[in-house]
Amino acid sequence: MKCIITIELGTNAVRIFAFDLNGIAIGSMKGYYPTFHTQPDYSEQDPEQIFITMLYVLKNLLNEKIHPKKYKVASVCFSSSMHSTLAVDKHGIPLGNAYTWADNRAKKEAIEIKESSIADAMYNCTGTPLHPMSPMLKIAWMKNNDQQKFQQAGKFLSIKSYVVHQLTGEYMIDYSLACASGMLNINTIAWEQEALHFAGITADKLPQLVPVFATAGTLKKAYQNSLGLSADTKILIGSSDGCLATLGAGIWNSDKATITIEDSSAVRVVGNKMLHDEKKRIFNYLITENCFVSGGPSNSGGGTFEWFAKQFGDFATAYDLESCMNSLLQEATKVPIGSGGLLFLPYLLGERAPIWNPDARGMFFGINIKHERQHFIRAVIEGILYEIYSIGKMLAEHRHISALSVNGSFATIPFCAQMIADMFNKPVHITKNSNSVSFGAFLLAATEMGIFKSLDEAAAQIEIADSYTPGENHHHTYMKYYGIFESLSNKLGDEFARIAELQ
Amino acid sequence: MNQFVLMQGSAEELSLFPHILELGVVKNSYVQLNALPKAVMTGVKFLYILDGKFHWHIHNSEYTLFPGDVALILPGQEFGSSSAVLEIGSFSFLHINADLKGTDEIILDKWSSLSGNEIIAISKILLLSNPLVITKLNEAGKILKSIQQELCNQEVGYYARVNNYIDELFILLTRQLTRQNNPGRDFHKTFMKLDEALRKDISHQWTVDEMAALAGLGNTLFNEKVKSYTGFTPLNYLINIRISEAIRLLKKPHISITDIALDTGFYSSQHFSTTFKKLTGFTPGEFRKNNSFTE
Repeated sequence: MKCIITIELGTNAVRIFAFDLNGIAIGSMKGYYPTFHTQPDYSEQDPEQIFITMLYVLKNLLNEKIHPKKYKVASVCFSSSMHSTLAVDKHGIPLGNAYTWADNRAKKEAIEIKESSIADAMYNCTGTPLHPMSPMLKIAWMKNNDQQKFQQAGKFLSIKSYVVHQLTGEYMIDYSLACASGMLNINTIAWEQEALHFAGITADKLPQLVPVFATAGTLKKAYQNSLGLSADTKILIGSSDGCLATLGAGIWNSDKATITIEDSSAVRVVGNKMLHDEKKRIFNYLITENCFVSGGPSNSGGGTFEWFAKQFGDFATAYDLESCMNSLLQEATKVPIGSGGLLFLPYLLGERAPIWNPDARGMFFGINIKHERQHFIRAVIEGILYEIYSIGKMLAEHRHISALSVNGSFATIPFCAQMIADMFNKPVHITKNSNSVSFGAFLLAATEMGIFKSLDEAAAQIEIADSYTPGENHHHTYMKYYGIFESLSNKLGDEFARIAELQ
Repeated sequence: MNQFVLMQGSAEELSLFPHILELGVVKNSYVQLNALPKAVMTGVKFLYILDGKFHWHIHNSEYTLFPGDVALILPGQEFGSSSAVLEIGSFSFLHINADLKGTDEIILDKWSSLSGNEIIAISKILLLSNPLVITKLNEAGKILKSIQQELCNQEVGYYARVNNYIDELFILLTRQLTRQNNPGRDFHKTFMKLDEALRKDISHQWTVDEMAALAGLGNTLFNEKVKSYTGFTPLNYLINIRISEAIRLLKKPHISITDIALDTGFYSSQHFSTTFKKLTGFTPGEFRKNNSFTE
C-alpha cells in the first residue's frame, strides 16, 4: 500500500500528515519550535531547530504509524509559511537565525520602495504588495544594516529551501513561494532584475526556481537509512501554506473565495490571471502557469480573540484558555447583531490587507453607559470578521464571488461561520478535512502521481461537511455598522501613526 | 510584636542553630539616615513587611514593599536602600548561613530535610526569578513568627520544628514565585520562559521536576501541557534544543566532539553519539565531515 506524506513548516510548528492514496489521513503529528523576539519588530527562528524538529517528528510518525503497517511512502510533499528569509554562507551553513513572515525590521526599506518611482512597475511584475514581510526588503535591510552577514552570504533561502537542502543537497524554491519573496516576475517566471537590484544581490544568490511539482533531488543515504525510506521516495518541493490551504479548500478556478482564520487570517481566490489592484493591496501567487492565487492577508484573527480572552476572560471558573474562550463565545451569543452599536477595530498588530498600515492600532468605538461586558465580547468577534469582510470586499472589486469556503480554527467555530455568512450575505461551506494546508499538499502530490489529471480535478474532490446560509436581513444590519468600521479604519491614519510612535 | 534581635554568637537561643545568623523584628519610628546602605549579601535573608512602606534596592532593581510583602535576598545579591535611609515601618527578618555552589546551587547544610534534587530545583527557580519580591504572602509572616516563638519557648521538639519551618519558607516562596511568574492563563508565555531558561543553561542536566517547577506546575499537568503544546515530552523537547545547538557547534571545526557533547548537556560523548545518530542517521563525526570545509 502506498501513502503520501505532507510536511507543513508552519509559523509555530511543523505538522506532518500521512494520507493513503484515497486521501484518508492515516496519521499525523506535530512538533513545536519557538519564535524569538529579541527586539521590537524582530521575529526569528532557529533553522537548525526547525530541521531537527521536522526530522524527529517525521521519524516518529514513520516508526509509529507507517512502517508497522507496511505502507510504502511514494512521496513527501513540502509546504511552508511564506516570506521567511535565511542567509547561509557559501557552504550552506546558516548565518544566524531565519527572519519569519512577521519580522518587520525592514520598515524603512518598505517606505523607501513604496515612495520610489519603481513602486508601480514592481507591483505589476511581482504581484506582491510592498511590505516589510517581503524577503526582497529583508535582504535589503541586511545590506543596509548587517554588512558583514550580507557579504558572507552565499545564498538567501526560505526556511523550506534550507530544510530541503539538508535532506537532499539541492537549493530549490517553487514558483509560488518564490512569489512571496517579492522578487519573482510572475509574467516571465524568472527573478526580476529590478527587485534583485533593490535587494543588492544577483540571481545566483537565490535558489533554483522550479514548478510546484518538481522533485527536489534524492534523499541523502543517511536519511534513507535513519528514516527507513527508499531512494525512490520522491521529495516534492510543493508550495506555500497559503496556496495549499486554498487548494485544500477546493475552490480552484471557480467563483468561490476561501477564508482562513487561524491566529491571523487571509481571504483568497484562484484564477487564470493576476489581479492588478491599483492601490497595490492584493497579493498574487503563481501556482502553475496561468494559475494564480490572489488575495489579502490580515494580522488579526483568532490571535486577537485569544488576546481578549487572556486579558478579560473569567479564569476563576475556566480551567484553561480554551474553556475560557468557549464561555466568552457563549456570552457573545446573548447580544444582538451590531453589539448595541459598539465597534472594535482589531489592529493590535498593525494591519496588512486592505489598509496595509503597520502603525494601525485597535480601538473600541461607540461605548455608551448601557454597554455590558458581553457587548465587548461580541464587538471583538464582529470587529475581527468585519476586517475579513473588508478584504472580501476588496477582492470583489476584481472578481465575482458567489460562495465561501471557510477553514481554520477560528473561522470554523459555528458562531463565527454563521456571522461570516450573514456579513457577506453568501453561503458558507466548511470542508470535511479540517487541515486544509496538509490536504492541499496531498492533492498536489496525488496530482503529481497522476491520480488526478489536474489541480482542478483534484480540488473538485473536496467534500463539504457543513454549510451555513445567510439569515434574512442580517447582511443589511451588519452593513450599517460596517460602514462606520470602514470609515474609521481609513480616517485614523494620522492618529495611528502618532500613537504608534509613542508606544 | 516588639522589636527584638537574636544574633548568632550572643544569643543563647541560637546555640543549637549555627546556620541561623540572625533573626528578629525591626520597628523603626523615625527616618534614620545612613542606616541601610547597599551591601552584598552573604547567606540568605528573608524579610517580611509588617508595617509602613519601604523602598529597597534588591539585586539590580528598585522595589517598593508594602505590608504582607516578602523580599528574599540570595548570596551575592545586593540589598539596601539607594539613599541608605531606613524608612519608618516595621519588618521581621531571618538571616541564614548559606553559600552558592557554582553559580546555580544554594547549599543548605544537614539541618535541612530537603532532598538534594529538591534543593537543586529550588535554587534554580530562586536564582532565575527576578524579582525576588513576593506580594501579599501572609503565610511567610506567620512562619517567621512561629520560628521566633519556638526559639523563645523551647518546648520539646523545637529543634526539628525550627528547621522544618525554614525549609517550609523556602518551599512556600518557591511555589509562590512560580505562580506569580506564570499566570495560568498564558501557557505560551510560561513555555517561552522555560524555553529561554533551558537555552541559557543547556549544559545542565535538567530533570522534569526542575522544569515543571519552573513552569509552576505539578509534574503530571506539566507533562500533559508540554505534550499538547509542543508535540513532545519535556525531555524530548529538550533533546531538540540540545541537538540543534550541537549541529551548530559541529559545523564549526575547532570544538572537539566531547566538548560539544558536554556543552550541550549530554552525559558523555557516547550518549551524544547514540542520540545524534538515532535522530539524524549520522554519527556526530560523520556529520561534521559532511559539513566541514577547509578554506
